[in-house]
Amino acid sequence: MTHLTRRSFVGTAALLAAPALIRPAAAADTVKLGCLFSSSGTMANLEGRLNHVVRMAADEINGRGGVNGRQIEVLTSDPASDWPLYAQVGRQMLQQEKVAALFGCWTSVSRKSVLPVVEQNDGLLFYPLHFEGDENSKNVVYVNSPPASSVLPAVDYLMGPDGVGAKRFFMIGSDYVWPRTINKQLKGYWKSKGIPESAWREEYVPFGFSNFQTLVNQVRSFASQPGGQAIVVLTVVGSSIPDFLREFANQGISATDVPILGLDMVEADLEGLDTGKLVGHLNCWAYLQAAKGERNQKFLADWAAYVRAKNVPFSADTVIDPMVSAYDSVNLWALAAAKAGSFAVPEVRKAFAGLSFNDPSGYTLTMTGENNYVSRGVFIGSVNEKRGFDVLWQSPNAPTPVPFSPYG
Amino acid sequence: MVEPLRALLALCCLALLTIPAWAAPLDRAAFAADLCGDGTAQVRGPEGLVQAGGDLSADDLAFAGRLLNALAERRLSCPADGALLLDRPDAPEGHDALTGAVRPAAEARAPILSLRQRAAIETARGTVALLTGPDPAARAAGLAVVERRIATVPAAVLDRARDAETDAGLKATITGLAQAAALSSPDPARRLAAIAAVAASPSGTAQARLAALKNDPAYASDPAFQAALDAGLAKVSRAVVIGDGLAVVYNGLSFASILFMAAAGLAIIFGLMGVINLAQGEFIMLGAYATYGVQEAFRRLAPGLLDLYLFAAIPVAFGAVALVGIVVEALILRHLYRRPLMSLLATWAVSLFLVNLVRVTIGTQNLQFAMPAYVSGGVPLYADFVVTWNRLFAIAFAAATLGLTLLILRRTPLGLDIRAVTQNRDMAACLGLPTRRIDRLAFGLGSGLAGLAGVALCPIYSVNPGMGSGFIVDSFMVVVLGGVGSLLGTLVAALGVGGANVLIEPVSGAVAAKVIVLVGIILFLQRRPEGLFAVRRRR
Repeated sequence: MTHLTRRSFVGTAALLAAPALIRPAAAADTVKLGCLFSSSGTMANLEGRLNHVVRMAADEINGRGGVNGRQIEVLTSDPASDWPLYAQVGRQMLQQEKVAALFGCWTSVSRKSVLPVVEQNDGLLFYPLHFEGDENSKNVVYVNSPPASSVLPAVDYLMGPDGVGAKRFFMIGSDYVWPRTINKQLKGYWKSKGIPESAWREEYVPFGFSNFQTLVNQVRSFASQPGGQAIVVLTVVGSSIPDFLREFANQGISATDVPILGLDMVEADLEGLDTGKLVGHLNCWAYLQAAKGERNQKFLADWAAYVRAKNVPFSADTVIDPMVSAYDSVNLWALAAAKAGSFAVPEVRKAFAGLSFNDPSGYTLTMTGENNYVSRGVFIGSVNEKRGFDVLWQSPNAPTPVPFSPYG
Repeated sequence: MVEPLRALLALCCLALLTIPAWAAPLDRAAFAADLCGDGTAQVRGPEGLVQAGGDLSADDLAFAGRLLNALAERRLSCPADGALLLDRPDAPEGHDALTGAVRPAAEARAPILSLRQRAAIETARGTVALLTGPDPAARAAGLAVVERRIATVPAAVLDRARDAETDAGLKATITGLAQAAALSSPDPARRLAAIAAVAASPSGTAQARLAALKNDPAYASDPAFQAALDAGLAKVSRAVVIGDGLAVVYNGLSFASILFMAAAGLAIIFGLMGVINLAQGEFIMLGAYATYGVQEAFRRLAPGLLDLYLFAAIPVAFGAVALVGIVVEALILRHLYRRPLMSLLATWAVSLFLVNLVRVTIGTQNLQFAMPAYVSGGVPLYADFVVTWNRLFAIAFAAATLGLTLLILRRTPLGLDIRAVTQNRDMAACLGLPTRRIDRLAFGLGSGLAGLAGVALCPIYSVNPGMGSGFIVDSFMVVVLGGVGSLLGTLVAALGVGGANVLIEPVSGAVAAKVIVLVGIILFLQRRPEGLFAVRRRR
């Protein structure tokens, strides 16, 4: 009988666990791309879609002959909405699978956990979510917008005459880095506009929090105080979003009384809600499904066809910004790799300067040599009765991204 | 010549009485053009209508109402000239708003409303409904909208509505509102009446409106005004405090009912068999999915009775989840009774299996539930205290579950057997009780209760495969705090935890509230490891 030491047990377990974590599609002479999106846990319903979008984008590029004469092979994984696991799976993908680039993370906390891994291994992570900014790693491509080109235009809109002339702000967020940083920057922004500190309130809830009665009561009493129109800046994530909206509507507060600006709110969050009483609440992204233009129509049709052909377990008629951003990510990487004529990260990174891509949103995405940020358009959406968003406002052009916020 | 003159005069008076001489009729073409115009015009049109609302003919108001409804419901199509009313959104053709002629709606643009336009249009629709609504309910709905934006509605609209109102109750409400609207009237008597009227329907908004009057010059100079305002403000403040107190009680009750529903089944399973069932949260999820199945069956077979699906789901969810529980017990747990750690791991495996089974077969998206009127929306009860129907449903549901479970445990042979086995398994076996069969039934009962929790949670939470994981920690906390195996202990613990959370949350935030409650429970269990209500247990 062999002795099973603790060390050998851990080693065996790791070996056994390795193939379960990463699911490759074996093929020779391909270039590998890795996905870090959860298909279980709290983020599954949102992140799960992105695996399929990356596959779809890779299939399209492979159909055109691949990149530098090689076919793309996509590896998916399941970090199970467990933030440290993102780093572990990411390391495995970079060191063992030798992926040319990683596409992944939804929450900022997962990105922050992968960050040291990609920096140590000089990998590339394409991050498809709009986020709090204040970070500029040469190993991360920030495909979506920092606050200056997403949140601030939306807040400006609500404060302006076209919006509701908002004067007072109730910030509700999940308790982690993204909401806290966004709110810090917003407070700095309002201070710079001469708005007194008494005009805002800030509350945080734990991840997965759902009992919003007390907070909605507080919003109501906040809104009834004098000092001007109040709005809610909502930065809760995951299942807290529909739960908050439901309680808000049930307590009879409509968008014309107190509008909600849901910064992480996407079409998928409205699934299962009766949006009749939520009409008019707002979100802001770099893409909305209702965006006009043939490129968007084509993307929507392609996604619907892909869902049907591959039997993807997600809605064929719902496309959200991070899906388009993930699609853009793969295309940007392919363009850069083709331009560099190489898959080596330093070469690809150098090729980012001057890259441009016409994405489904209708804007032309551009990158400069200054940083790894991508310049995107801005949409403000308004909830409609059909569980979608109408485009209420969109920026005339794609603003240049500002990585570090001057407001805090 | 006197007779004809008198006749003419009488005719004139008659005409004045029957067809009142409206100041100016609505410029229908301009109104239609405004609604089809840009953002500014879409605000100008409805606002103008509200301002003129007191003087417009019923015909004009009805015309405007049709257009406004169509705009809000996306049935207004705007060709180059005029406006078309469609029967449904995106219909190929519609009736011209002015002429009624049928025209194709091709190339028409359905305007998307911003919040400002939406507010103006809502107010205008409310005004039209208040003035021309066919029945008191429609007029009351209009009044509710007008009341929210009373500052933008001229007194003439309220006066006209009051004079025309036939329903006595509604008339009184309109009168009160009209009085309250005169808060800044130059006439001191009307102002005092307005303060009294505002104080009569207390809310946070009313408090703010009255508090703003303290800066009014009259407050310093007019003692009567000052006294009236202070009295009104005191009355409103008291009412708001009471309303907030009621809201705290209600929120606590509602949270406690959810905790209790989630923990009740566990109290039986854990109490009877000592099995730490980590799949309890997934049983709740299965109950919710069973409810969804019932809803879909109703949708297919009896769409007319769809509103009753939640009640029909009660036995189905209970039965289905109880069956799952019994199968799990028979296949897995039965073999692990002497190994608590293994049964813990086994139930965890069951929970992972169930989550992934549902994910693969149904998908990860939130399920779409039809929300009947009795679980959607709410009613303002007192001051700012709103009773939301979905929470009330959960509270009533939890109370009914508690009653039924107690009835089963205390008054039925099965309950007697369960209690006997809980207290002393070996002795019960010696006396001839089939303890294995009772275990199975008790596990079924506990699982079934989790299924019921799933029904009650459908109107409150999002239903997806992962929904169960959030409940497991809370429910164990409640069961352990209450004393293992005691249903009443579970109830008291749920009330305590729910109440403590709701009380602490406004003071220190939701994150700290969770921490404080958890620390409190740990300290309590240090002092009293057996929980609130200790039950004599099997060895």
